[in-house]
Amino acid sequence: MMEALNGLLSGFGVILTPANLYLCFLGSLIGTLVGVLPGVGPLAALALLLPVTFTLSPIGGMVMLASIFYGAMYGGSTTSILLNIPGEAASVVTCIDGHQMARQGRAGPALGIAAIGSFIAGTLGVVIMTFFAPAIAAAAIRFGPPENFALMVLGLICTLFMISGSTIKGVLMIALGFLTATVGLDVVNGRERYTFSSVDLSGGIELLALVIGLFGVAEILSNVETMAKTTLLADRIRGLWPSLADWHASWRAILRGSGLGFVLGLVPGGGPVTAAFMSYALEKRIAAQPDRFGKGAIEGVAGPESANNSAVAGSLIPVLSLGIPSNPVTALLLGALIIQGIQPGPLFIAQRPDLFWGIVASMYIGNVFLLLLNLPLVGLWVQFLRIPYRVMFPVVLLLCVVGTYSANKNVFDLWVMLGFGVTGYVLRKLEYDLAPFVIAFVLAPLLEQSLRQSLVMSSDGAMILIKRPVTALLLAASVALTFLMFRRRTKTEGGLP
Amino acid sequence: MFERTLNVFWIVLGASSAVYAWSLGMIGPAGPESGLFPFIASIIVSGAGIVLLLRPATHARALDFPQGGSLWRVLGVILGLIVMAVGMPYLGFSVTSFITMIILLRTVDRSSWISAVTLAFISTASVFWLFGQMLGMALPRGPWGW
Repeated sequence: MMEALNGLLSGFGVILTPANLYLCFLGSLIGTLVGVLPGVGPLAALALLLPVTFTLSPIGGMVMLASIFYGAMYGGSTTSILLNIPGEAASVVTCIDGHQMARQGRAGPALGIAAIGSFIAGTLGVVIMTFFAPAIAAAAIRFGPPENFALMVLGLICTLFMISGSTIKGVLMIALGFLTATVGLDVVNGRERYTFSSVDLSGGIELLALVIGLFGVAEILSNVETMAKTTLLADRIRGLWPSLADWHASWRAILRGSGLGFVLGLVPGGGPVTAAFMSYALEKRIAAQPDRFGKGAIEGVAGPESANNSAVAGSLIPVLSLGIPSNPVTALLLGALIIQGIQPGPLFIAQRPDLFWGIVASMYIGNVFLLLLNLPLVGLWVQFLRIPYRVMFPVVLLLCVVGTYSANKNVFDLWVMLGFGVTGYVLRKLEYDLAPFVIAFVLAPLLEQSLRQSLVMSSDGAMILIKRPVTALLLAASVALTFLMFRRRTKTEGGLP
Repeated sequence: MFERTLNVFWIVLGASSAVYAWSLGMIGPAGPESGLFPFIASIIVSGAGIVLLLRPATHARALDFPQGGSLWRVLGVILGLIVMAVGMPYLGFSVTSFITMIILLRTVDRSSWISAVTLAFISTASVFWLFGQMLGMALPRGPWGW
């Protein structure tokens, strides 16, 4: 406990410099903007700004990227409540009751409770993270390659468990992610794999080109397909502070959302989107009058908005303390750290306490920035909604090009981005979930390395994965989860999963 | 039909990739070779493709291809990106972006020439100033030095 508090104090020492505070504020500002504007998700924004962080210190870069992630959760509610259009995926469920409240002239309290609930949940999430992450890292420090391998397998199975579409398609996406990651030189022996003698491919597929293509370009292609020549407008907002009755109805939902969001953030495949949906379902199920939901129930805004913010803190724990991302955004954060020469994992907190505690401390400060940005300045964000998408998307496309090119200064990456953009657009139409692909792509080098190290250190080949108790337990959990998943899907879909 | 073809593609991709991975070697005297991990992944790709192909016909979705104006907008974006990738090494970022923006605004948005040129100039100059000047990113320059 005291160790964590001391660490946190040292983190504040790291973050409380003008440069880092500025980056935290800038990230919060960009995150809010990304959340407010439909069609630009936090993942695409992080990918676009990742090259900018190469010129910053590791702490400055990570603080900015993390604050964009949680900032987007705050901003997403604004568009959902005012326009019934989710600013980003985790705010989809906020549309249901948030927009109904706006139609009843209660947009102010809806925005107010979303921002305050987000602040409370975000802060609670970081408080739990402060004490929880070092404990997990301390437990995982005893892990060897076989345990790491089993843990990553379990993480991928959990990802499959949480995806909305076909499980088989999810399995296929994971395997394709692995295959794509093996393009380039084998780090163990320098042998070329799947390069077809191309110099451009020998360096492997660039993470940024892949992510910007799959999530930036594919999103633009989907949006322009159904683009309407309209400008989004919203009415003037009055009275942001919720009434006593609103508080009475919301405080339990905020606390429940905070807890649920944090737990779901921890689970690979979970994260803010799942947390928001689960929180809404929970609030509706336990409500005394469930028929109020969908007609402007404030708990339907407070719970999910709290859950998606708390999930951000939860989802940072596995990536920082175990080196395992739970969703594509944290996979990109992991990629950002690796590019900076830092390998997150059980030793991360011990080896880079400045970085870990600096990120944690920045989240306390970032939540305060976001509350200030989202309550008094909500009118400013509404003005941004007046920019028509038909004007906005060419600029976003230019940013995609700049973001992709700047990683390696290589035009070949633009072709990779275009290829993955078109592929992502088609696969989304066929209901393939792209999140497992990105997570598998990022995890593949670590997974392959752990597997190879495990087999090298074993005298019984693959039996090492069963003989070690923790590994066996984790793999047994993976098998059990797989069985449950196939049984559930077969029951609900009445055929092959 | 499209999804069925795609499922066949997964099977072929997985099989050919597995054959290639096998040629890289599986297990050698020093332990696992370069081909082991991609071989396992390839087998999973092929296996998943087979399962998807064997699913009842109701599971196979028809691809909802864009048509008419939607198709033009999607193709306009793809064309714009192709122009960027082809033109940037020769014309530099600024000129290629300007041309791409005009293509996008004319094909996707059907803007008038005046508003397309104005918006293309403002957005290209803003992005170049922000990333090329303020953030110091080395964006490709054309024969004119900008």
